[in-house]
Amino acid sequence: MRRCLMLAVLGATLSAISVAQEVVPSVEVTGAVKQPLTLTAESLAKFPRATVKTTNQGIETTYEGVWLTEILRRAGVPQGEQLRGRALASYVLAQAQDGYQVVFSLAELDPSFAGGGVLLVDTANGKPLFGEQGRFRLVAPQDKPGARSVRMLTKLEVVSLRK
Amino acid sequence: MRTNLHLVLFDCALSILLVSSLMGADFDWRLTPGFPKPVVPADNPMSDAKVELGRYLFYDTRMSVNGKASCGTCHRQELAFTDGRARSIGTTGEQHPRRSMSLINVAYAPYLTWANGTLTSLEGQALVPMMGTKPVELGLLGHEKEFLEVVAEDPTYRRLFPEAFHGQRNPYTLANVTRAIAAFERTIISMRSPYDRYRWYGEMNALSDSAKRGEIIFFSGERGRCFRCHGGWNFGPVRFAGTVPSGRDELISGIFFNTGATVYVEPNRGLFEHTGREADIGKFRVPSLRNIAVISPYMHDGSIPNLDAVIDHYIAGGKLAHPNKSEIIRPLTLTEQDKQDLIAFLNSLTDREALTDPRWSNPWPAVRAQR
Repeated sequence: MRRCLMLAVLGATLSAISVAQEVVPSVEVTGAVKQPLTLTAESLAKFPRATVKTTNQGIETTYEGVWLTEILRRAGVPQGEQLRGRALASYVLAQAQDGYQVVFSLAELDPSFAGGGVLLVDTANGKPLFGEQGRFRLVAPQDKPGARSVRMLTKLEVVSLRK
Repeated sequence: MRTNLHLVLFDCALSILLVSSLMGADFDWRLTPGFPKPVVPADNPMSDAKVELGRYLFYDTRMSVNGKASCGTCHRQELAFTDGRARSIGTTGEQHPRRSMSLINVAYAPYLTWANGTLTSLEGQALVPMMGTKPVELGLLGHEKEFLEVVAEDPTYRRLFPEAFHGQRNPYTLANVTRAIAAFERTIISMRSPYDRYRWYGEMNALSDSAKRGEIIFFSGERGRCFRCHGGWNFGPVRFAGTVPSGRDELISGIFFNTGATVYVEPNRGLFEHTGREADIGKFRVPSLRNIAVISPYMHDGSIPNLDAVIDHYIAGGKLAHPNKSEIIRPLTLTEQDKQDLIAFLNSLTDREALTDPRWSNPWPAVRAQR
């Protein structure tokens, strides 16, 4: 009886540890930022949301998420009038779970410059992203090829190139 | 007066409906919602009657010079409309240099056959096996008249041809034969594999955990990179209704690749055979990977026996060196588990319903049983 009780307690403890260790998918915003961020679906839901429609091989998809400019603003990255001088030699390195990396300059993300917005997406057609898309991805609707619309996004690192 | 007006309006509506129907605009493709419609030539609109006629012609062995083979001989439904051979054999026993290609979703193929950058219509393609002499496939060249006479006298065709080509004084023509076969082939559409159910229908349990891991490897730009050639919902290049045509060279560069799979000597020199450009030696069309598990052996010449060996080929970065080998083909770092996951994913692309759907089966046994 005592042994059974001990086993039950051990089982419950292991189960609790397993739940505690379950990794919540997130995107880290790091590097040359004033305020590093850890973005989850829950935190992104509280940001201003936007949608983008894309068509790939005839199939239309409505993606929803948050503009990168909004995320960078919250991380304290220079925007608009502040995006001058040294800041103009900065870029965002977007990295996927598999190590895939692409770059966007701060200027090309800023509406006061090129204005070609890039959306950090967490839903497609109203449903959370899954599988090969990862839980988060980028959608760069202004790009002709899709190579910078990074799937399985895990990290956005702001890098200043100015020496 | 009001009644007359109603009748006139009703007649007009009926006429519009009939014209629309005749033009094929309201043809029911039975597509998954959201998927694009195939391209249909303006001079060969779709109709149920034409598709049905095409099915009979597709499986009619009288189309071959010796009555032994039909389109369905090299395109067997249970094998995703391939024949399971490394290289197909024509009706007179002559071996083709290449294997037969799957006809599933062929309506979306931007180019047809393995290595022809000019062949884009199924109507034109149908003439290749019918009339070709190098090699002979059906061997119909020189025997067209006899075949059309047989067709015109067959009771089944005497019903189907006039229905399909309504109003034509003599519908029993070779052009109409190719139109009907093309219309039938355009309906062979598969969008119900386990992977489709997982990806598009929200059935999260339609795939095993291994296949789900395989999907991630397949679409990873750093790991499998398979999607670089076999991307999109059809796992290969597509064209569809409303497609804005790209420049021909641009289109071809994204569809024909040299993968270093074999030595590219006569009669398998790829796109070069039509362009004469050295840079096109060894370039073959990217096939769709739908139903790939039932389409062995692999590559244009069936030189790779199974999926395991295909993945080994790509892990090696293409087994053979060739100056035209695509830069996409580079060595991959994949574990044995990764390989098994990729194979599980590829297996999930098999649409069992498409392999047995009676709409695309051979109708002749039932006809003969009734005669």
